[in-house]
Amino acid sequence: MIGLPALLAVASALFGIGLYGLLQRRSLVAMLIALELMVAAVSILVVALTTWTGRGAVAGQVIVLILAGVAAAESAIALSMFVAIHRASSTIDVETLSELKG
Amino acid sequence: MSAAGLVFAASAVIALVGAVFAVSFKNIFHNILGFALAMLGVAGIFLSLGSDFLAIAFVIVYVGAVAIAMVYAVMLSYPLDLPQKRRSGAKILGAAAVAAAGAAAVWAVLRSMPWRAADFPSKVSAAATGVRFLGDYVLVFELISVLLVVAMMGSVMVARRVRVGEHA
Amino acid sequence: MSGPVFAAVLAQAAPLAAAAVILVGLRARPRVAAGVAILSLTVALAATLYLVVRVAMPATTILAQARWLPVFGGPGLAFGVLLDPLSTVMALVVAAITLAVMVYSTGYMAGDPGYGRYYGFLAFFGWAMLGLVLASTLLQTLVSWELVGLASFLLIGFWFDRAAPAAAARKAFLMTRAGDVGFLFGVLILLHTLGAASIPDVIAAAGPLGALGARTTTLVAVLLLMGVIGKSAQGPLLTWLPDAMEGPTPVSALLHSATMVAAGVYLVARLHGFFEAAPVVMRWLLWISVGTALAAATMAMVAQDIKRVLAYSTISQLGYMLMALAAGSVGAGFFHLVTHAGFKALLFMTAGIFIHHAHSNDMREIARHRPLGQRAGVIGLLCGGLALAGVIPFSGYFSKEAVLAALGEGFAGSAPAAIGLAYVGAGLTAYYTFRMIFLTLGTAGTPDAGAAAPAAAPHAAGLTAGERAMAGVVLVLSALTLLLGYLGGWLGIRLAPDAPAHGAFAFGTGALVALALVAAGIALAWLEFGRRGAPGIGFAERVPALKSFFGENWYLDRLYNATIVRAATALSRAARWHDHTILDGASDGVANGTVGGGRLLARLQAGYVQMYVAVAVTLVVALAAWLLRAGGTP
Repeated sequence: MIGLPALLAVASALFGIGLYGLLQRRSLVAMLIALELMVAAVSILVVALTTWTGRGAVAGQVIVLILAGVAAAESAIALSMFVAIHRASSTIDVETLSELKG
Repeated sequence: MSAAGLVFAASAVIALVGAVFAVSFKNIFHNILGFALAMLGVAGIFLSLGSDFLAIAFVIVYVGAVAIAMVYAVMLSYPLDLPQKRRSGAKILGAAAVAAAGAAAVWAVLRSMPWRAADFPSKVSAAATGVRFLGDYVLVFELISVLLVVAMMGSVMVARRVRVGEHA
Repeated sequence: MSGPVFAAVLAQAAPLAAAAVILVGLRARPRVAAGVAILSLTVALAATLYLVVRVAMPATTILAQARWLPVFGGPGLAFGVLLDPLSTVMALVVAAITLAVMVYSTGYMAGDPGYGRYYGFLAFFGWAMLGLVLASTLLQTLVSWELVGLASFLLIGFWFDRAAPAAAARKAFLMTRAGDVGFLFGVLILLHTLGAASIPDVIAAAGPLGALGARTTTLVAVLLLMGVIGKSAQGPLLTWLPDAMEGPTPVSALLHSATMVAAGVYLVARLHGFFEAAPVVMRWLLWISVGTALAAATMAMVAQDIKRVLAYSTISQLGYMLMALAAGSVGAGFFHLVTHAGFKALLFMTAGIFIHHAHSNDMREIARHRPLGQRAGVIGLLCGGLALAGVIPFSGYFSKEAVLAALGEGFAGSAPAAIGLAYVGAGLTAYYTFRMIFLTLGTAGTPDAGAAAPAAAPHAAGLTAGERAMAGVVLVLSALTLLLGYLGGWLGIRLAPDAPAHGAFAFGTGALVALALVAAGIALAWLEFGRRGAPGIGFAERVPALKSFFGENWYLDRLYNATIVRAATALSRAARWHDHTILDGASDGVANGTVGGGRLLARLQAGYVQMYVAVAVTLVVALAAWLLRAGGTP
């Protein structure tokens, strides 16, 4: 049987990997992928905690559904922005795009 | 080890491996494929938890839609002709450190909470979810629909080419 | 306001108004400026003449004061005029000499680009000096004292674009300032203990029986004496006066012979009752003045510049005046002040005529330019010189005899050495005076001095208006030297009603001794400088060690340079280092640190999203760690 601690550990590890990717990757799309991984980790956490403690199990499902929908919408918009940025600056390299750097 | 446990273990491994692929390879397409693999793993985890509807939803949304959209975006913006810049060692180390700290913090906080875990997870059926969704949470349901429409329109507006004589 | 008080106020107001008008508006109109100044001093002269008639002749005293700033119902500060024979006669002397110098300057300073400014400063000086003389409280005296010092600074350094006058002005100001510190403290002590007391009240409060007590009186007397030493160039503070000769010659005639330097003497005379209550201080004053008189006479013996000879002579004669005051005789001291004002101003103005003609201050150089052709100059030189040397019947004889007689009466038993030295000084005075006369007139015969006489006549016929003004003033003053001598008795009665009266010729053996010494001095000077074919080198000049010792102010300047000047310069260098390195370094450091810190912090705001995320995550992790350590959530 799996236990709650194992679930928490997997979710945390997934979160960490996603965070690594968000901080380390250069391409905007790669950062977006990592971000989605982090969202997925959070989803796992929500479901795990609501089903294992037995409180608000259905609400947890609803939350995750909403979260998935919002994440999808956000990635759609983000990707279209990346296309526009690329059109404007010919790059989607985040290190080049940091205009504030003095 | 029960069936659920086996499924969970396998899915966890797939998810983590996929995640690692998603953040490591140089070729962005490989990253997207790793992402898809990770999402399949996550879906498996949901299955092992008894949330079958969520598992399917995840596969459809992420693997089926988001990953494809990413492929489109990459095709439209990938700087294929420009040389790849070197990766900075300091950045890798720093990112790894911060990420490790972040993960550790999350895990520590979660562990410190006194969850009163039951012996086994409660079962949630898709029917119950649906009833709740369209019952108590119907406002949220409507709002997310609106949000998705707006997102669709927004992304079209942001990404389209402006024709001569037309303002953005 | 009664007549005399009004006249006293007018005598001060007229020069002040002239100074203000000239310095503000008339600098570009030099002739108008000179006219305004001369007019104001004429008004002042008329006012002081009226004062002498109304106050000095009947020997009355008038004290008129007003109150200022009576804060919180307290006594406030008093100011006003004190009119008695001493102050009114002194005021007349000041006004007369100032007017004479102004008229003389129309010739001497003609063509100078600062002509208007010059007259403005002269009028300013006239106001300040009259204020000093007529002041009714010591605080007023102090204020006027400092203003006179300021006028001296402005006038010595009149040609400020040259280094020497500027340095001399600074030196004069600083040295008199050193003495003025004592004066200030003395006045402050008096203000503290006696409040807004007028001068007569201060004198009455002096001494063991008065409100001040013996110790305070002595202390204040010493402090006031410091101011006197500074202003009258006595003792250690004498070196500024020879350097002050860098100023225009009329300024030397007015300030540095007749009036400003005499302010110290006037102060002692004014506060004579006060000083008499501190006999120890009078002793010191005696020795300081005797020593100075002798030392300055030796310095005059070797000087080559005619103005420096006269400057040293002034220091020496001021010593004589102070000697008489130390001996207790206001009459003798003040009489000598008046006659000295007359003949010293005359000598300076005469020197100015020669300097103007020869374009040089050096006596030998003047001798080469046919000085005998300047008739007014020759007359002035002879009259002034005979008065200075103390030859009968010139004014200087009478006043000097009065001084020596007073010394004899005051210190015959207690300080015979001082009296002896005073007599020796009289002989030396005659010697250096006639040395100056012979060298200037070139009587020993130099190759160019024997030029053809006919050249003199057409030169005299072609005198400009300015030169006529100069000559006229000199002749008037020369006549005065023959008349002023008879003033002694008149003054004596009014200034010291209790002292035994001296007739003009009743001086006894002391007078004969003095005349003998004077004759010896003149004879020696004639032997060394006067007769045809004289060697032209004095007995003091033959000894090189003596020549340099006398010539360099008895090495006082060297001493001051080695000690005070070096110390002050080192201190200011240290201060400048501190300012540059520490203070500027600190403020620059703050600025640089701020900029550097800003640059460092700017890296946080680079627009670099991944940096933002990393920072945010780190902070949240830290927060989580802190919360967990503190016991987590409930």
